[in-house]
Amino acid sequence: MSWIDFTWPMLTGACVTLGLIHLRIGLRRTPGAGHLLFALNALVVAVYSCLELALMRADSPARYLAVMRWMDIVGGGVLVASLTAFVWVYFGTGRRWLAILPSIVMGVALIPDLLPVPKVVFLQLTKVTTHQALGGASFPVADGVRNPWNLVFYLGVLLLLVFVLDASLTLWRRGARRREAIVGGAIVFFVLVAGIHSGLVDAGVVRMPYLFSAAYVAILVAMGIELSHDAAHAERLAGDLHESEQRMTLAAQAAGIGIWVRDLRSKAIWASDKWRELLGFAPRERLDFERILQRMHPDDRQVVQHAMESAVANKSGYETEYRLMLPDGGTRWISSHGAVESDAAGQPIFIRGASRDVTARRQAEQQASLLQQEIAHVGRVTMMGQLAASLAHEINQPLGAILRNVEAAELMMRNSSPDLDELRAILADIHQDDQRAGAVIDRMRTLLKRRDLDMRPLDVGELIAEAARVARGDAAERHVRLDVDVPGGLPRVRGDCVHLQQVLLNLILNGLDACDGIQGRDRRVTVAARADGPRAVEIAVRDTGHGIPVDSLSHIFNPFFTTKANGMGMGLAISRTIIEAHGGRIWVENEDGVGATFRFTLRTVDEADTQ
Amino acid sequence: MSTTAPTVHVVDDDASFCTAMSRLLRSSGLAVRTFGSAKEFLAQLDPQAPGCVVADLRMPGMNGLDLQAALAKSSNPLPVLFLTGNGDIPATVLAMRGGAEDFLEKRVPMDLLLKAVQRALARDVREREARARQRDVRSRLDALSPREREVLGHVVRGRLNKQIAADLGIHERTVKLHRTAITTKLGVPSVAELVRLTQEAGIFESSGLTFPKGQ
Repeated sequence: MSWIDFTWPMLTGACVTLGLIHLRIGLRRTPGAGHLLFALNALVVAVYSCLELALMRADSPARYLAVMRWMDIVGGGVLVASLTAFVWVYFGTGRRWLAILPSIVMGVALIPDLLPVPKVVFLQLTKVTTHQALGGASFPVADGVRNPWNLVFYLGVLLLLVFVLDASLTLWRRGARRREAIVGGAIVFFVLVAGIHSGLVDAGVVRMPYLFSAAYVAILVAMGIELSHDAAHAERLAGDLHESEQRMTLAAQAAGIGIWVRDLRSKAIWASDKWRELLGFAPRERLDFERILQRMHPDDRQVVQHAMESAVANKSGYETEYRLMLPDGGTRWISSHGAVESDAAGQPIFIRGASRDVTARRQAEQQASLLQQEIAHVGRVTMMGQLAASLAHEINQPLGAILRNVEAAELMMRNSSPDLDELRAILADIHQDDQRAGAVIDRMRTLLKRRDLDMRPLDVGELIAEAARVARGDAAERHVRLDVDVPGGLPRVRGDCVHLQQVLLNLILNGLDACDGIQGRDRRVTVAARADGPRAVEIAVRDTGHGIPVDSLSHIFNPFFTTKANGMGMGLAISRTIIEAHGGRIWVENEDGVGATFRFTLRTVDEADTQ
Repeated sequence: MSTTAPTVHVVDDDASFCTAMSRLLRSSGLAVRTFGSAKEFLAQLDPQAPGCVVADLRMPGMNGLDLQAALAKSSNPLPVLFLTGNGDIPATVLAMRGGAEDFLEKRVPMDLLLKAVQRALARDVREREARARQRDVRSRLDALSPREREVLGHVVRGRLNKQIAADLGIHERTVKLHRTAITTKLGVPSVAELVRLTQEAGIFESSGLTFPKGQ
């Protein structure tokens, strides 16, 4: 038993161990070809080191030659081919023809080994002598007529060296990472040492055992360093991941955010505990999209489904809010936003999302809007009070006509031969007047109704005409001319008819007030409209009154600000709230010397739809 | 004084109400003319024609009160009956102060309306007669000399001849002569008659009254 007897098995063991580790990694990872090729390489070297040991323990020339033949086939054929393939895949920088060449040359070099009577290294083996090495170890040395074909084998080794050097240098020039440089260097070292040393042994220049597998230790060490780097990196990543998960969970918990992921292929849904709590699912309960939809308010299901579908179709994000129906009959508002993730081929594979309880915010919004409607309603009632006299007049007019017609008819009926044509005319007039009075009452009732915002496409001309109809009596009473100036072909606007009329009436009545006490010039209120670019319509209410004191201009829209003795100061504040709820703005300008102009904008139908 | 039948002039900006009103009044046997605005009415007004005006208080342009004021400037102002949709107190006060015949709601019962119209027409007849008489008295008073007019002023205030003579610085006898001339020129025998006549003519009151006060 000498050191040779345990050094070579140790080399075998090291090769097998590292080979198996890389085999496992290669099978686990998706692009695992590099690892699999290295595993093959290491296992081949393990076999080779076994053959080396067998050679050293060959007890006859025939046996020596047989082992030698297998060493050629394994070392020159399989090892060179697998090493080339490993470098090709692992470096990705080799030249194709340079990669193929060493294997072809090796194939040629191996021809003598494949002959029925193999001529391996020696044409004729004369004798095998045992040499003593250090430490009392012994090894055989062969002598005989050497086969000149061996030179082809070394040409193959040289070509392999050229290929590896070329690939490593290319990688180096591309700014390769240190790790590839180490592996490349180790392979070059191995090919050089193994090739030169075995050549010298073959030529009988040095009398030593083959050190093929010993040289391979360089590659084992390099790949070991690689592996340790990988392991350290993986550990760091795992640590980072854990840390980031912790942070994420903390943030999600603090913000009350529930997280979920839906796999679009398997339809499986994963959700965090918080999300399950928000939507009322038990921690281990199975989730599917249908069941989640069932928990939503029926009116919201389609909206959510549509948002998801269009997000998948456009591979974009989505944002939606929906109501959840709670088992106790209550409602919970959930805000959900997320994004679609696609695979390398651009196929959507996941939707990830975050959901949050926004019930409190929604309720506050609803309350605020309810309060706004309430205030607007109070404003309308107050305004109707201002208009009461002229409205009463407008109703009394047709009612008076009806009464007089009826009385006239009664008188005519007392006649023995009443004028039937006249009676028919009376009835037609009564009918018409009834409708006239009804229309006034309808208008008034609409304005007095308590109602939510009802946004519809509106014709600006009709809107203004309707407001002018209501205010006309008042204007006549106060000797103010009320003009309407609306060009044809204006785009329609989106808005609530009643609320916008309230704004118009408020501005018109303010204009009438402004004309009070104006003597010696035109007393006039003009309502005009014009297109303000393609997306908005501007409506202006201009008066020829006193104008607005400069120091009042900035706070004229503030609540409770008034310049009138009996004003509440709510009219313009309400008007501003209404216009802003319509996505428009309202402002005022003093005209040069004469009167003021209030202007506001409304979005056209197309523009409002894109919001 | 014209002898044509009295006409009710209906002035209202509401065409339907004008038509209905005219039907009713015509069915009650009255002559009616309708006008869509105060301006239109004033343009066609014949001061000699008897009748009355039924006007809406609230009209665009010239309203009822403006109409009343314009009418008052004519030589024979027609009585105005105001109709209104609702009781507008300041306007009512102004209308009544301006001598409006009546102030009715638009939907007042027919009999009240017709009575008011009749009353207005009767008042027009009365006022026309009074104005004719007044004009007659005035033309007779114009025949008096300044001194006689001065004496008449004292007489209607109930002063004695002696006092008048002292006030004017003339002889009592001269006063008597003036009084005889006055009664002859005016054709009035008694002092009581003289007082009534001068009151009717309104010469010793603040002048410019177009409608006699009171009813």
